[in-house]
Amino acid sequence: MRNKLFFLMVLFIIIPSAIWAQVGLKGYILTDTRVFLEDQRFYWNENRLDLQIDASLSESAHIYSELWVRGFGFSDVKTSADLMARQKDKVQPWNMVLREAYLDLYGFLLPDLDIRIGRQRIAWGTADKLNPTDNLNPYDLEDIWDFGRHLGSNAIKASYYLGDYTLTGVYIPVFIPAVLPTQDWAQALSPELALPPGFTQNNLEDQIQTPENTLKNFTAAFKIAKNFFGYDFSMSYLYGWDDLPIVTNVGLTPVNLTGAVDIATTLAYKRMQVFGLDMAGSLGKIGVWAEGAIFFPEKTEMTTDLSAFGYGIQTSLALDDEPYMKYVIGMDYSFKNGIYLNCQYLHGFIHERGRENLEDYFMFGAEKKLLNDKLKITSIAGGLEIKDFSEIKDNYAILYGPEITYYPVDNAEIIIGGHIIEGKSTTVFGRVKKNDEVYVKVRYSF
Amino acid sequence: MKRIILLMTMLILTAFVSGQTKEPSALEILKKSDAVINAPKDQDIKMKLVLIEGNGDEKERELRMLQKGGEKRIIKFLSPADQRGIAFLDLPNDMMYLYLPAFKKVRRIAGHIKNQKFAGTDMTYDDMGTLNYAAEYDPKFIEKSEKVFVLELTPKNGLQKDYSKLVMWIRADNFYQIKIEYYDKSGKLVKRMERKKIEKVGNYWIAKEFEIYDLLDDHRTRALLSDVKFDTGLKDKIFTQRYLKR
Repeated sequence: MRNKLFFLMVLFIIIPSAIWAQVGLKGYILTDTRVFLEDQRFYWNENRLDLQIDASLSESAHIYSELWVRGFGFSDVKTSADLMARQKDKVQPWNMVLREAYLDLYGFLLPDLDIRIGRQRIAWGTADKLNPTDNLNPYDLEDIWDFGRHLGSNAIKASYYLGDYTLTGVYIPVFIPAVLPTQDWAQALSPELALPPGFTQNNLEDQIQTPENTLKNFTAAFKIAKNFFGYDFSMSYLYGWDDLPIVTNVGLTPVNLTGAVDIATTLAYKRMQVFGLDMAGSLGKIGVWAEGAIFFPEKTEMTTDLSAFGYGIQTSLALDDEPYMKYVIGMDYSFKNGIYLNCQYLHGFIHERGRENLEDYFMFGAEKKLLNDKLKITSIAGGLEIKDFSEIKDNYAILYGPEITYYPVDNAEIIIGGHIIEGKSTTVFGRVKKNDEVYVKVRYSF
Repeated sequence: MKRIILLMTMLILTAFVSGQTKEPSALEILKKSDAVINAPKDQDIKMKLVLIEGNGDEKERELRMLQKGGEKRIIKFLSPADQRGIAFLDLPNDMMYLYLPAFKKVRRIAGHIKNQKFAGTDMTYDDMGTLNYAAEYDPKFIEKSEKVFVLELTPKNGLQKDYSKLVMWIRADNFYQIKIEYYDKSGKLVKRMERKKIEKVGNYWIAKEFEIYDLLDDHRTRALLSDVKFDTGLKDKIFTQRYLKR
């Protein structure tokens, strides 16, 4: 951490004052506290300083960087040494994340060619936060309610504007895995390992195998976009990596005679190709969008080592190479009385893989601003998850998330809200139905 | 002598013809007024918006607006901090786009937004649109004087507008619209716009200040214009998603 601070200080010193004169500094301070209703336990405690540096160095060059400095988590003091540590990490955990840092060159080599080099977020897709075609940056699922959040990737992006067409090419040399949800929400995306009857889990260890940082393990993507008859269309292709790991090996070791076993798993990241298509436009005054992606996964087998039980090593199919399609359709509308309505239907959630495993989700939200925009009430917001339409009563989950936002002064907002979850444990949200929560967030932008 | 008689005859004839000159109709005045407002080929304007609540509380917004003709417009927010960088692109045929820097994404916006208030002001997106009243309203005279024309504007048949009628004051000397009152479907006065500090910049007239008062919400928006530039030759490629993100 000290090295990072030293690096920052050096950076501030070496950047010439002439550049500082053109630099825009902005950001926000966020306090985010969440508590589970069932056990009244605080599970989220975040104080974030977001710093964004933005500078137009000339007509054709621009730099941007975003840094998060966060006090995140709770005291984790185990020994007196933890209390005496100079870094205070155990008393007040904190971290620093460089979200983005890139250089834009406009009209690079050709007048209609723009390139962006560096750590960057490349957001593809027309849907709202849930984008099947948005596969360039790894997911940042740390906050499960922030579906659209991704990490930045070190990349080169080139955009060429050819008449009405926009052609985009992206090259990402090095793989970065997705960040998974915190422990309290992990179960939503990773169901418990199913053990044979009579076995119980004792210890669980896992090992992650990431692709080597070599030239061959790159990601590349291409997109072409154009407006036809008032509708915006784009078509994309990606040759990259699935940023969520898949189990490739499970080993079971007996601990005692009661059936308790130690489990050792190996997870790996696999290649995938994705063809994407999206559109956005309006039907009358209603906003409409649709987005779909066909995934071509790499065939992945899973070995289960049961040799300790005399059954040897068994092999099964973890993920077939059969293509599968995820898609979203959505609409939004603002009524004259100020109510804004947004609805989306999603087939295939972020973590779902394989044609048979894709579920259906209906997400909706209605909000209204009052008191000359000082108050925003999101009274109807949430979703409905259906795992199996033929047996809905055992395969559904309902999510309700009302929220009130108060803007006391310019740049400040106070948000109070909650999530109520009901459903069956076969579903994503049903598995975390005990996690009903309320939260308070305060944010000030500068 | 013959010359004097000829001259006098011509003067009498001229006076007679002048007396017979047809007075401009309400529609002609409205068209002329639209033409004055929309005369610049392009505009580059900085705008400070002061939002004033009934109790006197004020908030400020700053933006830069680039406009080409009457149909292409790009608006970039400069302040406050939580809106800085947000940009709005308005193109013909209701093609509208919003750039939200926090999401690194340009989002298509549909026509439903047109009846919503723009950035907390008392203007709707529709109010911000092209000021071509003659194409959308049928005018008739309420009052004529040497200094001002007062017209009543009602929406043309089949055209859906939020207002049942507008009453518009137009200066007689330069045909600049100085005041508009907006009446809702029940005929109630709901909004009033007044233009002040009307000056000539280059070849064009412009109000360096205007104020909109929403009578229903008891809320007003005062707009102060600065760095006004006309006909700087803004290129079409500025009004694209490529430039919206910059």
